[in-house]
Amino acid sequence: MVEESVILELVKNKPDGISNDDIKEAIPDAKIEDIAVAINKCLKTGSLELFQNKGKLLYKFKDISQKTAAKGSDNEEKVVFRIIEEAGNKGIWIRDIRFKSNLNMTQLNKVLKSLETKKYIKAVKSVSASKKKVYMLYDLEPDSTVTGGAWYQDQDFESEFVDVLSQQCLRFLTEKAEEARKQGGGPLLARNKSYATAIDVHKFISDLGISKVSLSINDIESILYTVVLDNNAERTVSGDGYLYRAINRFLDPIGLVKTTCGVCPIASRCADTGLINPKVCEYLTEWLEES
Amino acid sequence: MSSQVGKVISLILQERFGPVIEKVGTFLFQYGSNPLLYIKRTTDLPLGKVKEALCVLIKHRLAIFKPNKNENIANYSLCIENILLMMRFPKYLSLIKKKFGDEPEMMIEELLQNGYLTTSEIILRVAEKLKCDVNNLPNVRDKFVSLIIAKYINRLPLPSDEEKPVPIFGTNETELFTLPKIDMKKLAQAYANIIPKDDLGDNVFWVVNYDRFHQDMRDKCLVDAFIKRFDENAGEFLLEIRDIVRKKVVYPNLVTFFDQYVTVIEQDSSQIIRKFGEASGGSFQIHLKEAYTQLAWELVEQVILEKFDSKAARIFRLVKLKKFVEPDQIQQLAMIPSKEAKKLSYLLLEENFLKLQELKKPQSNTGPNKSFTLFYIDLESIVRNLLELCYKTLFNAMTRKSHERFVNKRIIDKKQRVDTIAMGMQAQGATEEQLADIEEMITPPEKEMLDKIDKKMKKLNIEELEIDGTIFLLQMYLKYQ
Ligand code: SF4
Repeated sequence: MVEESVILELVKNKPDGISNDDIKEAIPDAKIEDIAVAINKCLKTGSLELFQNKGKLLYKFKDISQKTAAKGSDNEEKVVFRIIEEAGNKGIWIRDIRFKSNLNMTQLNKVLKSLETKKYIKAVKSVSASKKKVYMLYDLEPDSTVTGGAWYQDQDFESEFVDVLSQQCLRFLTEKAEEARKQGGGPLLARNKSYATAIDVHKFISDLGISKVSLSINDIESILYTVVLDNNAERTVSGDGYLYRAINRFLDPIGLVKTTCGVCPIASRCADTGLINPKVCEYLTEWLEES
Repeated sequence: MSSQVGKVISLILQERFGPVIEKVGTFLFQYGSNPLLYIKRTTDLPLGKVKEALCVLIKHRLAIFKPNKNENIANYSLCIENILLMMRFPKYLSLIKKKFGDEPEMMIEELLQNGYLTTSEIILRVAEKLKCDVNNLPNVRDKFVSLIIAKYINRLPLPSDEEKPVPIFGTNETELFTLPKIDMKKLAQAYANIIPKDDLGDNVFWVVNYDRFHQDMRDKCLVDAFIKRFDENAGEFLLEIRDIVRKKVVYPNLVTFFDQYVTVIEQDSSQIIRKFGEASGGSFQIHLKEAYTQLAWELVEQVILEKFDSKAARIFRLVKLKKFVEPDQIQQLAMIPSKEAKKLSYLLLEENFLKLQELKKPQSNTGPNKSFTLFYIDLESIVRNLLELCYKTLFNAMTRKSHERFVNKRIIDKKQRVDTIAMGMQAQGATEEQLADIEEMITPPEKEMLDKIDKKMKKLNIEELEIDGTIFLLQMYLKYQ
């Protein structure tokens, strides 16, 4: 375990930013995984900021003791500002601001405009509903639930990108399991050698160079979870992280899915009489003609 | 029982026993237990025909009778399960053949075709079929006895009270597998036709014990599943903890790594095998409920995957793992674009794979978020729906089969006629040439046509068997709930 405070102390002392390697050097006896976990936590709370300098990733301390009340604004603005401040980096929807502030729509729009021009707040398009905007304080980095994180480009979910990554993650796990099995030494050994952490997979994906954007460990965890959801891998808790392993299913294709009726989209409308019936069914005819 | 099952049953009866029995069976399915005269009145069949039909059904264990309240009249009812099991006969036969060989297979076949038979009937029929020597009779008898010992067949309970107008049958479990006394000398005489078979005075009847076959099938499914998930050794491991016999020779890897297999299988997320105690290596239990629940989940996932797509299956498994999921969480956790996620989850909802529960938020009862909805899964109801779908599929396959037969009736009949003639001529010692001439009555295009029909029939027959496999898995899940 690495305390977040340790990391924060280190970072505070380096206002120009600190790299991963610097941190490792400063706390040599901590495990890399633990450091990564602590850093991730800090990034989440917003007390750390990640930026790039000459192709190097650096962390910087960010003071999160918030700006208090917007100076030079009237009462209504203060109320609205407070409401938006409370919402944090997840932002708040205009209708909710209206309910909480009891302002009418025209008033509220005016206040929001004013706050926006003063750069106290900003409107961010949320990915969860395409036409929905949420408001948050101007200098906040929107939460990944709002931007969608690495998977979104201009509010568009990059489905194919996710699919490719998911396939590659599975490939990595399968190859690892395959190799472990080939090495022999019994099933237990093989199983234990087939486990991988998100960090292992992250390295593999980075080395592949298929991603234009830089992916975090958390991003990889999300992708790995899709592999788990597809029933191709198993996730086990170990320490405060997860271990992943490729698994096999129990069943070969069952009889029902090999038939046309078992997967027929209009089965509920098919009966022994009526237009849709097994005597004339085209699906069945086609299937019967297949060799 | 559902109407879908009713339709399948009437097709099975029609296919195997013809229209009269089908009519009586369908009546009993629809109206339940009924006395003879009611059946006659409603079906509008002559009394003799109804009696005949009931006899056949009872002989094949497809119907039973019990005394009515006044004890003088019998009520007849249909054994729905047993009718459906007729689809499974080919599986029983191949199972017994693999395990015991040819003679026991023939014995089971005789029983399946006839319902019940006496000890001597079974032994003599099989011996006759094999044309075996009288000295070989004890051999056949031993095969027969081994089937009783292994519990693949059991005695048909006899009336416990024959005084009553409608006999009541005993169900003395312990006597079901008692070995019969077989007088080999008399049996040999009957075989050689020295004494009539009726003189054997055999009054013990035997029937096939379906449950025993299902046990084997149940275990086989699990062994196959283990082989697929782990490897051959793990499958063997499962067999071993069931049989408690170690077959060290065949699976050397299992012996070397026995303890490792124990750990891996025990720790598997499926939780199918549990270990108890540590004494002398501990003992194991196969958790059948857990096992068949796992298989049922996977089965449902397969259906969703094939019926919809991999994203739908992913959403389904997400809800499975989380138990309750908010619609908004789906796109994020399953990493599917929100529109697609919405479309798929509502499609799953529409087809009853997902269910929706609405919850009121405790504090706010105004505003847009006053309640929220959660997706969840009711596996048992899905399994029941899929079982329905299986019966529907069976019905469709069988309907199609009889339809194909119907539209090709002319050519099929012709083929049959030609075959009969050819057979007759062969018996009269016709020459090759003459036979070939007969064969030529079927023209090449007709032959092609017949081959095509034949292929279709085979395909549909295989489909029926495979669907029955799915039905078996689903039934096992329901059985262990
Ligand atoms: S017979 Fe055709 S329409 Fe009917 S359920 Fe089967 S595939 Fe669908």
